[in-house]
Amino acid sequence: MEEKQKKERIGVYICHCGGNISDYVDVAQIRDLAKNEEGVIISKNVMFACADSNQKEMIRDIEDEKLDAIVVASCSPKLHLHTFRNVALRGGINPYNYTQVNIREQCSWAHSDTPGEASIKAAGLIRAGIKKVSFSEALENIEVSSTRAVVIIGAGVSGMRAAIDLAKMGNQVYLIEKEKAIGGNVAKWKELFITGQKGNTIIEALSKQIRELTNITLFTGATIEKVTGSIGNFIAEVNIGDEKLNLKSGAILVTTGFDSYLPTEGEFGYKNNPAVITLPEFKGLIDNSHETLLYNNRKVNSIAYIYCVGMRQTKGENKYCSRVCCTTAIQSSLTVHEKFKDIQAYHLYRDIRTYGKQEILYERSSKNGDIYLKFDEKAPPVVEPIGNKLLVKVKDELTKRRELELETDLVVLVTGLVPRSDSKQISALLKIPVGNDGFFNEIHPKLRPVETVINGVFIGGSCQGPKNISESVQSSLSAAVKINALTKNPTIFLEPIVARINFDACVWCGKCAEVCEYDAIHPLEMYGKTVASVNEAVCKGCGMCAPVCPADAIDMAQYSNNEIEGMIDGFMEKVELVAEAGDKLQDGGEEGIAMKDMPLIWRQLAGCLQGDSKSIPDLAKELGLDSELVTYNLMTMNKYSLVEADKLDDSDEYFSYKLKNIPHVQN
Amino acid sequence: MSRIDPEFASEIKKYGAKDFSACFNCGNCTAVCGLTDKSVNFPRIFLRSGILGLKDDILQSREIWLCYACGECSETCPRQAGPGDYMAALRRYAIASYEPTGLTKLIFKSNPVFILFTIFLSVMLGFFLFTLKPDHEVSRWLFTVIPYAVIHNMGLVIFSITGISMAWGLITMYLKLSKTVVKSEPGKSNFVNAWREVVKELGTMNRYQTCDKEDDSYWKNKPAAIQPWFVHWSIMWGFLGLLLATVLDFILKDPATAIWWPSRILGTVAGLLLVYGTSLSITYRFKKVTKTYRETRLADWMFLLFLWVAGITGFWLEISVAFGANYLLNHIVLLIHTIISMELVLLFGFSKFAHAIYRPLALFFYFRESQQKN
Repeated sequence: MEEKQKKERIGVYICHCGGNISDYVDVAQIRDLAKNEEGVIISKNVMFACADSNQKEMIRDIEDEKLDAIVVASCSPKLHLHTFRNVALRGGINPYNYTQVNIREQCSWAHSDTPGEASIKAAGLIRAGIKKVSFSEALENIEVSSTRAVVIIGAGVSGMRAAIDLAKMGNQVYLIEKEKAIGGNVAKWKELFITGQKGNTIIEALSKQIRELTNITLFTGATIEKVTGSIGNFIAEVNIGDEKLNLKSGAILVTTGFDSYLPTEGEFGYKNNPAVITLPEFKGLIDNSHETLLYNNRKVNSIAYIYCVGMRQTKGENKYCSRVCCTTAIQSSLTVHEKFKDIQAYHLYRDIRTYGKQEILYERSSKNGDIYLKFDEKAPPVVEPIGNKLLVKVKDELTKRRELELETDLVVLVTGLVPRSDSKQISALLKIPVGNDGFFNEIHPKLRPVETVINGVFIGGSCQGPKNISESVQSSLSAAVKINALTKNPTIFLEPIVARINFDACVWCGKCAEVCEYDAIHPLEMYGKTVASVNEAVCKGCGMCAPVCPADAIDMAQYSNNEIEGMIDGFMEKVELVAEAGDKLQDGGEEGIAMKDMPLIWRQLAGCLQGDSKSIPDLAKELGLDSELVTYNLMTMNKYSLVEADKLDDSDEYFSYKLKNIPHVQN
Repeated sequence: MSRIDPEFASEIKKYGAKDFSACFNCGNCTAVCGLTDKSVNFPRIFLRSGILGLKDDILQSREIWLCYACGECSETCPRQAGPGDYMAALRRYAIASYEPTGLTKLIFKSNPVFILFTIFLSVMLGFFLFTLKPDHEVSRWLFTVIPYAVIHNMGLVIFSITGISMAWGLITMYLKLSKTVVKSEPGKSNFVNAWREVVKELGTMNRYQTCDKEDDSYWKNKPAAIQPWFVHWSIMWGFLGLLLATVLDFILKDPATAIWWPSRILGTVAGLLLVYGTSLSITYRFKKVTKTYRETRLADWMFLLFLWVAGITGFWLEISVAFGANYLLNHIVLLIHTIISMELVLLFGFSKFAHAIYRPLALFFYFRESQQKN
């Protein structure tokens, strides 16, 4: 913050993006404007700024012209921020003395209809970028020392598998399980799809490996009471019976798994009728029955499965699809078919989602003669007792929505996966956010799927959302690799974009700590007074604290007051571009298009519009064309400035159009 | 509210449908079918009826009779549920259900029963034929066992039963199909128009030609004369022509009339058509030229073979009578010809042949309804 000196040798590079930008934005004129800005030494147009040749040229410029900051006006920083930070570094200037201006997504692409204005906006943004970079400070990455140990919460299949890999990669692993037995849900299941292995066998195998690895410490019947510290140096307080332990770790992996949805009383007759059971209960029944399937001492001859129970509610709480239940139900049905013979299965479903290889199960089940009936969410099946049996009424979407009824001995409610009841506690403990569905949230579902917004805290398995075993293990192993990449170095480097406190101005009112979502700000005794202090390893640089500070004692690195104000000033300053005759800025269009080159329909439309302006319905009627076709072509002609909207017609419903840039029309 | 009957699917399977339970309702079959339009929609919805056991839906349907079994749907089915074969099975099921004696059920469901019954019928017919020559050795023996009057009356009874069963079947079908008719506005009866359309279809096989076009990769550049619709047309009109010629001959009471006699000319032309059609059909089925001919049930083979043999033996007789060939051989051929022809007539209402009476009725309902919708 001491370095308030403005940059004096700035290089500006304006990218054509091979026409993506230069087709709409007058890059040449903007280059000349930028050159006149204070502190700018070089302003250049480049065909592709990201090209290797240009990167080398930039490095040469930095060295030859002794540049102290650079601005690249090209695409979104999401694409190339790191590319050019690297260029700056290689050229010998601090990577944070670099600013990227997005004139492709924000100018040429967004305003392709009005190139003149796109150019003005681009010029403003570039000027703002130059101002920002001129106030920029050189920043160094934050260094944090790290412990080569990992705490894994939950010893289900995901946690166990990740523990083994992390241990093999050389980490000390603390595997913490709340229950007395390990293995979670998988340990309860019998045959699993594809391999046909039993759930228990898988857990046994993992358990054996864990016992053999000396750097895994397994705690069962253990709960986490408190977690302090931050990335590299977490301290987890664990309760094991009467004993309390403090475990120090560099990262935390959460693999707490899921709960099965429990239907409410009366949902499809659940709890009111003993012959209505949930899928997990039914699986238990299959496993414990031999030769004949008996329920309450009566032979079961038919089973009706009702799918999506408690799931995919458009108006209810659980809007998501649990993914695994279709497969589980169908696999159970196949098991029943094999094990007990001659049991008729009815599947009352909304959509069957046996995705991927699981589709085979669905086909096999249909071929066995299982009957599939599709109901709509708005008309769910009705279950009524009839004598010793149950009568299920359903409106079948596949049979012209006919009301059908069937008699069955047993109704199985195919329930989905819901967040664990204790996931709120875990979320509070680690400050990791949960989504609307109640499952833990990752940073980005596609690109950063196992990291949370809390540095050093990772999620794996079905605590993140419904997953089958393969997917759970995939995600927890992915987290294991990410964790190892973090802990394998004794020092962790973090981005320096964090909040900084001016200790002279700070009077510790505590407002900043209140708004901080990451718990990064704590009071500190310093020079005889209390001031706010920021844990740089925890701060995400979100900027929530800066505006609430009454003493204006908080500044964000890379977004200091000077930089922000400079950007505003730069953008507000009026941009004047010279519009030359025939220039694309003049009429906002392309070069004139010869009348003979126009499509026939354009010539017809132009012919109709001679003299008088007309609305789309009138034009469509006159030419005997579809009004959609007329609309589409008029819009395109409008884009090329051949026609323009004139006025609303008498009914105030339609705009009429008139000719703009066509002087005369030959028919 | 209809009750689902899961047992029904296995019943339909006995009529020759295989894996139709595999259907997952994608509707590809309906989409590719060239014969579905605004008013009719098949085959998917009928797979549904079979799977759920909605018998009445099947027995009340015109749609199953509109299908000419081009096989395109089976080809397109992603689950190999064989909707085309399934439709054929439904037709067998419907024939068996409309007809009151239960004989068709036996014939369709079991090949051994079918073969035994055919042989039994041939022997019986053989004996009956001898009764037409009362002075023959076999006849004299026969009359010692059963009196002539009994045999004569038995013949009458059997033919009556056949006739009544067919009429019963037609009426049953008419009543079933009438149940789902939407009442038309008074004074807007399309009765005559609808029948005109039926006759036009039987004459031109326009809808069947649509099916062949669907299968265009094979039939596209082939002459019309060898396309399936024409083969079917030849068999149908060949048989009807021969039936008419026989009846005319019977009325004229002189089977040996000169060859230029109109009924004889009709017989010759019709016979040629029949032999032509059946020969081609047998060849196609034997070579399995397209998917239509891939699946041939025993009943189909027997039916085609009977028609072919009846035609061939007919010509043999015509030629040998003209050239005065071997007397005994002629009599054996005549015996075979007559037995097979009689068997075809007797089994008319109890075999695949029955579609010849049910399909026009279904077409009538279809045309009447599609006219109303337009």
